[in-house]
Amino acid sequence: MDQLTQIVIGGLVQGIVFAIVALGMSLVYRVTGIINLAQGGFCVIAALGYYQLSQVLGWPPVAAFVAAAAGTTVFGLLIGAATFVPALSRLPNSSMLMLTAGLLTFLQGLTLVIWGSQPYAVAPFSGEQPITLAGVRFPSQGPWIVGVAAVVVLGTWYLLTRTASGKALLACAENPHAARLMGIDVSRLTLFSFGLTALIAALGGIAVAPIISLEFDTGGFFTNAGFIAVAIGGMSSLVGSVGGGLFLGVAEQLAAGYVSSLFSNALALALLLVTLLWRPQGLFMPRRTRRLDVREDVRVYRAIVRFRGVRAAAVGLVALAVLIALPYLVGEGGLLSSLVITGILFIGVLGLDVLMGYAGQVSLGQAAFLAIGGYTAAILATTYDFSPLVGTLAGMAVSLVCAIVLSLVTMRLRGAYLALATLSFGLLVDSLTVGLNITGGPSGLVGIPSFAIGPYSFDSDISMYYLVLGLIVVLVAALYGGMRSSFGRALQAIRTDQTAAAALGIDVPRYKMAAFAISALLGSLCGSLYAFDFHFLSPEMVSTPRSFEMIAMQVVGGEGMLVGGLVGSALITLLPTIFQPLAAYKTLAEGAILVLAFQYLPDGIVGTIARWLSAEETPKPATAQLAAKGQAP
Amino acid sequence: MTRVAALQGIGLSKTFGGLKAVNDVSFEVPAGSLTALIGPNGAGKTTLFNLITNLFPPDTGEVRYFGTSLSGKGPSEIAGLGLLRTFQTARVFPGMTALENVLVGAHRQVKSNAYAQMLWLGGARREEARLTEQADALLDLVGLSSFRDVAATSLPMGAQKLIEVCRAMMAKPRLLLLDEPAAGLNDAETAELAALLRAVRDSGITIMVVEHNMSLVMNVADQVVVLDLGSFIARGTPAEVQRDRRVIEAYLGLQHGAA
Repeated sequence: MDQLTQIVIGGLVQGIVFAIVALGMSLVYRVTGIINLAQGGFCVIAALGYYQLSQVLGWPPVAAFVAAAAGTTVFGLLIGAATFVPALSRLPNSSMLMLTAGLLTFLQGLTLVIWGSQPYAVAPFSGEQPITLAGVRFPSQGPWIVGVAAVVVLGTWYLLTRTASGKALLACAENPHAARLMGIDVSRLTLFSFGLTALIAALGGIAVAPIISLEFDTGGFFTNAGFIAVAIGGMSSLVGSVGGGLFLGVAEQLAAGYVSSLFSNALALALLLVTLLWRPQGLFMPRRTRRLDVREDVRVYRAIVRFRGVRAAAVGLVALAVLIALPYLVGEGGLLSSLVITGILFIGVLGLDVLMGYAGQVSLGQAAFLAIGGYTAAILATTYDFSPLVGTLAGMAVSLVCAIVLSLVTMRLRGAYLALATLSFGLLVDSLTVGLNITGGPSGLVGIPSFAIGPYSFDSDISMYYLVLGLIVVLVAALYGGMRSSFGRALQAIRTDQTAAAALGIDVPRYKMAAFAISALLGSLCGSLYAFDFHFLSPEMVSTPRSFEMIAMQVVGGEGMLVGGLVGSALITLLPTIFQPLAAYKTLAEGAILVLAFQYLPDGIVGTIARWLSAEETPKPATAQLAAKGQAP
Repeated sequence: MTRVAALQGIGLSKTFGGLKAVNDVSFEVPAGSLTALIGPNGAGKTTLFNLITNLFPPDTGEVRYFGTSLSGKGPSEIAGLGLLRTFQTARVFPGMTALENVLVGAHRQVKSNAYAQMLWLGGARREEARLTEQADALLDLVGLSSFRDVAATSLPMGAQKLIEVCRAMMAKPRLLLLDEPAAGLNDAETAELAALLRAVRDSGITIMVVEHNMSLVMNVADQVVVLDLGSFIARGTPAEVQRDRRVIEAYLGLQHGAA
């Protein structure tokens, strides 16, 4: 009984931290409708800032606390003003979600550059001795955490329900257009809420730092826990955030205490999936029905780029010729093997483009299929002596089954909820690759043979290069035909208006599943080739950060064009290779590229070029033609 | 001569929370006719459309389409049977041109499957060309040819509604449900729409229209069904309905008597 109480206490303390992060996320969500994935990053920066000030520079704890919290808030305001707020009026919701993922990556990269990758231990505020109260032991930091949480919760509650600014904040979430018409400065309030959540994150991060191991990627841990908590509890509810956080904390600690920590990860994700499916509005919120006969109000849509015809074909052929000749221009060595990786990853990005760029289904778990394909093929080839080709095909079969199940399970989910469900699937696969014995655990699998078809083994970089290039040409050609005919149009219809698509006879579930299947098959192929090329496979190569990286490749290159991802993949894969000193800054650069690409290059690099080259053919807004006709719109 | 009615509504009801939006409504749409569904705002006309296409299921009652019950069928299945609808606020697909929007409507007709399309086999190519010709012809019919390659959502609302109609037409419907197709059109455009509707009906397609534009309704409808506050109140030819006292009461404040 005593052990149970200890575990529950530990769970509650954890849970309070989750609740604080969840509260910040809920606040931004209530004002903007976006889930801010960067939340956890601010926690870590504040915590490490506090460490720097109090333990390295020797400031008194109170001063360090205030300075770190204030500094992080100011930093948050600057970032929000530069990226989040201006982008909010220009980007659709799914892109905004990815923008915050880019911000998280950027913050993690910044942390990595400043503080390196080692873990840090922050001293508790009031000494190391645990407190004993009524025979139960609390960590000494416990009361501080509870105190900070109480301030945050009460402060937020007071703000939202008792002040005029609070009501204005809520109005922004309901209907930003109407709010503006009422004289509410939506941009300023959005910035205010962004800064406020940075403050909340800072307070929570500093308060909890002494009881966790603090590393540059702990931000990801906070973000994950926070959004699971807020999704379980209810995204628009104060009570929900707190309740969800506490519930999650206790559940995880119980699972970790009585079973294993691998199980506790899996349990958290299973809870999330169950909530999303059974009660998507959260455990603490009333059900909210959506009107189907009116299109969902979305702020912004992607503009159309159409680059076809003779000119496009010419450009394509030239590009292909360059790609064929490339190994001879580049010579053997590091650059060539990086090019091979570029091509292999592009195959996975291609699948993602079909799912996200065309069908509009947000997937934050593409790397899970890389893992499934890679590990299935590698295990079959090493332990069971199957040929690499059979292993690859087996991996694709397993991925296909997983994709069908995942698609069925998430069929009713849209937008942020779908993103969360795919993310939790990805995290689940992450913990399996690390926790299971058959995958070699954290150290991975070694001695993976080269890819081979029959007797021919693709040992050299050059042979792999041409294999991958051949595959890419075949895949792009096959998909191109499908995307520009009724199959592709059906996907695009589903992307923007599922109800109207169904009203025209499109079997929406079937097409969504097809898009998921294509992305899974290509992801699996990508993962298998990656393993055979590297002769080694570890969880980090195919884990969730890779999912975000692939989305970055897709966005930077250009969504919805199939070939855009190739440029994105090249940029992100080759940049650190070409500029060796940049390697340490890789994460920082990736985050910055993702954020900047979303903001200033919504069409991506290839999209912008295609738009420029097809200037006469590009669909213009109707105003020009209507003016010519003598009519006003 | 008893032909199977194109559409039969039998005792349809739907309640939202405390509001009885549709209250025991029964109606019949003869095959090959143009039926107008009218009534003041809030009468439940669009809700009735939504019940017919099973966007949400009715609390009571049944819908029969050429004799077949539509209970339990999903919206895409119903569309697959040839019952197509447009929406009150035009829902053209953003991110696609006017032509591409209309081509989506052809989904029901497309014979070649995804694999043939991916390999861009001859059959798929020819079908795409044929469908593009049809789509162009429809856009020409409504006077939107010059906007074929324009982003559909950048067009004025009236044009978007016409694109929606063309899109529904591409599916070669047997029954077409149009929700306020004349909203946003000026007098000249409304006259063109009337001609279009007559042509569509004369080609054998049954039409049911929700409309507020009374002159359009009186001009083209074979039958008018009137709802008020969720209940059926009158049915008949345009002339009969215009003189019906219950209809005049429901529309108090608008036109009285002959237009």
